[in-house]
Amino acid sequence: MRQLLLITAKDLRQGLRDRSVLMVGLVVPFTLATIFSFLFGGTVGGELDLDYLYHDADRGPLARVFVEEVLAGAAQRDGISVEAATDPATALQLVEHGDFDALFVVPEGFTAAVQQGRRTSIEVVANVDSSLGRQVAAAIAGGFAQELTGAQVTVAAVLTVEGEDAPPIDAIGAAFREAPGRFDVIDGAVAHDQLDETTYLAAGMAVFFLFFAVQFGVLSLLEERRNGTLARLYTSPFPRRTVLAAKTLTSFVLGLVSMTVLVIGTDLLLGADWGDPAGVAVLLVAGVASAVTVVLLVGTLARTAEQAGTWQSIVAIVLGMAGGVFFDVSRGSTILATISLVTPHRWFMRGLGELAGGGGPADVLPHAGGMLLFGAVMLLSTVLLSRVAGRRLP
Amino acid sequence: MNAALTIAATSIRRLLRDRSNIFFVFIFPMLLVLLIGLAFGGDGAARVGVAGQGSQVTDGLVAGLEGQELAVERYRDDDDLRDAVARGAVDAGVILREDGEGTAVEYLAGPDAAGGLLRTAVETAAGEIANRQRAATVVSSMTGLAPQDAQQLVAGVADVVPGVQVDVAQAGQTDLDGFERLGTFGYGAVGQLLLFVFLTSLTGAAALIQTRQLGVTRRMLAAPLRARAILGGQALGRFAVALLQAVYIVIGTALLFGVDWGDPLGTVAVVALFSLVSAAAGMLVGALVSNDAQAGGIGVLCGLAFAALGGSMLPLELFSPTMRDVAHLTPHAWAQDAFADLLRRGGTVGDILPELGVLAAMAVVLLAAGTWALHRSIVRP
Repeated sequence: MRQLLLITAKDLRQGLRDRSVLMVGLVVPFTLATIFSFLFGGTVGGELDLDYLYHDADRGPLARVFVEEVLAGAAQRDGISVEAATDPATALQLVEHGDFDALFVVPEGFTAAVQQGRRTSIEVVANVDSSLGRQVAAAIAGGFAQELTGAQVTVAAVLTVEGEDAPPIDAIGAAFREAPGRFDVIDGAVAHDQLDETTYLAAGMAVFFLFFAVQFGVLSLLEERRNGTLARLYTSPFPRRTVLAAKTLTSFVLGLVSMTVLVIGTDLLLGADWGDPAGVAVLLVAGVASAVTVVLLVGTLARTAEQAGTWQSIVAIVLGMAGGVFFDVSRGSTILATISLVTPHRWFMRGLGELAGGGGPADVLPHAGGMLLFGAVMLLSTVLLSRVAGRRLP
Repeated sequence: MNAALTIAATSIRRLLRDRSNIFFVFIFPMLLVLLIGLAFGGDGAARVGVAGQGSQVTDGLVAGLEGQELAVERYRDDDDLRDAVARGAVDAGVILREDGEGTAVEYLAGPDAAGGLLRTAVETAAGEIANRQRAATVVSSMTGLAPQDAQQLVAGVADVVPGVQVDVAQAGQTDLDGFERLGTFGYGAVGQLLLFVFLTSLTGAAALIQTRQLGVTRRMLAAPLRARAILGGQALGRFAVALLQAVYIVIGTALLFGVDWGDPLGTVAVVALFSLVSAAAGMLVGALVSNDAQAGGIGVLCGLAFAALGGSMLPLELFSPTMRDVAHLTPHAWAQDAFADLLRRGGTVGDILPELGVLAAMAVVLLAAGTWALHRSIVRP
């Protein structure tokens, strides 16, 4: 046991001093996560920032209602501002240029047309790049238009039946306005199993590069064989198994350390939210273990350290892609979504999703199980294939 | 000249002989283009799940949502719908509950920004149905008609009354045009072309370093060759490899995924100049870094970072103005702009002369720097 720890400690010191370990385990994933969060973080925003103009060419009572009640009401919402336009031509230019998101125009003769049941409309001119601005403006104007149309339909229907005995139009309109039965759309609560953009990117980069970071311990075995130091190591008075165990432990510790630093670093510096710490710990241990089993398999089958490094990279990349690290594979094709379940990456990300939805360590046991199952398959393959190929880790 | 060509040919042979390159250089890029196309190349219509009792109201809401060009999926069970929204299988969900007094509409927002947009669509569709009911109520109370008859009357009248519409128009010019000309795979193909050519050139620098470490380069100097020929050969070798990768991706994506690369002359020009810039960058890295393992890490980092910053992973048009300026420090952004003109707007080589000019200037600067650094590292061990 003491020998195991001695060798591990020596290898760890070597590994941590090796700049390529630091690069691949920390610098690269962290830098990429930072860059991505700058790029992607900006585009998926949750907050509104819409600026509108309006031009009232009608000045009739219904136009006033639109401006003083509907638009004013909209302006009370956070992130929406509404201003009167000085003149329509300038206003149009401002929208074209992108200084404002959209312009509302109430055309001349609007009130008269509505009262007489003739076709009329409210115009919304939106900047072509502001799809959110356009949709919100269309909804604001649309709600008002719906109310007016509803009143018109009611009036027409009552007149159809009652003819001259019908109550005055104003009374019918008022009755419609007061009629209950508005659909109030209430917001339901959804536990979001999905990570926010920043956390998704940070977690994706971390788990992706984990499979690169763990190779240094085990593959150093192959390096030492090439350098001749392995033979010397084997002349020492402890079983060869201890050496392999130590290298495996080194890989495990390096992986765990790099992941932990990334979790803390992205939390503090990028604002990534990984969720319940105990749950994260469970996922980290299972994830690192599964990554180490891949290196053991690759290291057993490869002939040289360089070959092993290449194969490890290939496996890491393929698993990472299929597991949804670069982009979400749960949407799009279902074949993709199914294949992704084979990868430990997918279970890791899904486990984090559980934690994001407020789960704790118990909730991610299935996900840890998925990763450990993958690891078990890797170990089994290692044992079987080494017998078949006649190769074993030295 | 012969000597330079020989060195170049050797570089290509070394690349092709290393079997691991078959994956990284040839298979991996195609895999990514495929994946990106599958993940993002879809039609992009927002999906809304609706759970209700299958009554007229539910049908009316579904019709109202589909009228706004949303894809509607019906769910039998409320909890299944909640699950679907949480997982992101649908962008939003609507649960309708009808009791004696009216209908409760519960809106479940998905985590994306789409969630906010879709709420207004649901409000509009729900408003339509609500108004019909309110009209029927008033008609019924004022005329004495039975509720069913009132509803029918209202439906009939609504078809006839022109009503108040909302006319929506768009103004201004957008940069986000022409994406439909790219097809499912065009966007991914351009991004991966630039990413991989640059990345391979940078990581291929490791080979350059090994050559130095093994002392091959110094031995070349002992031969009756001028240093110029050796350096020229190195540059040509890097360029040949980059060009090979680029041509492979262009032809491969055209054949496998039907990507239309636009004006051939324009594409060739961009590809050639970008490969030159990448090769020069690779040479510079190879000359400055002394440890080939380190070069691998630096190469991967810079390769991916430049690709991300330069618009190969997210359209430049979606960058903030500041980030767009930063992006144009990379050759990728200029090549992206050129390809946007060629592929999305049907431009020709004449339209992309400014971008070609910048790429050429970058190539000259990097080549000069790389050559100087390499010369210094050979001559002074």
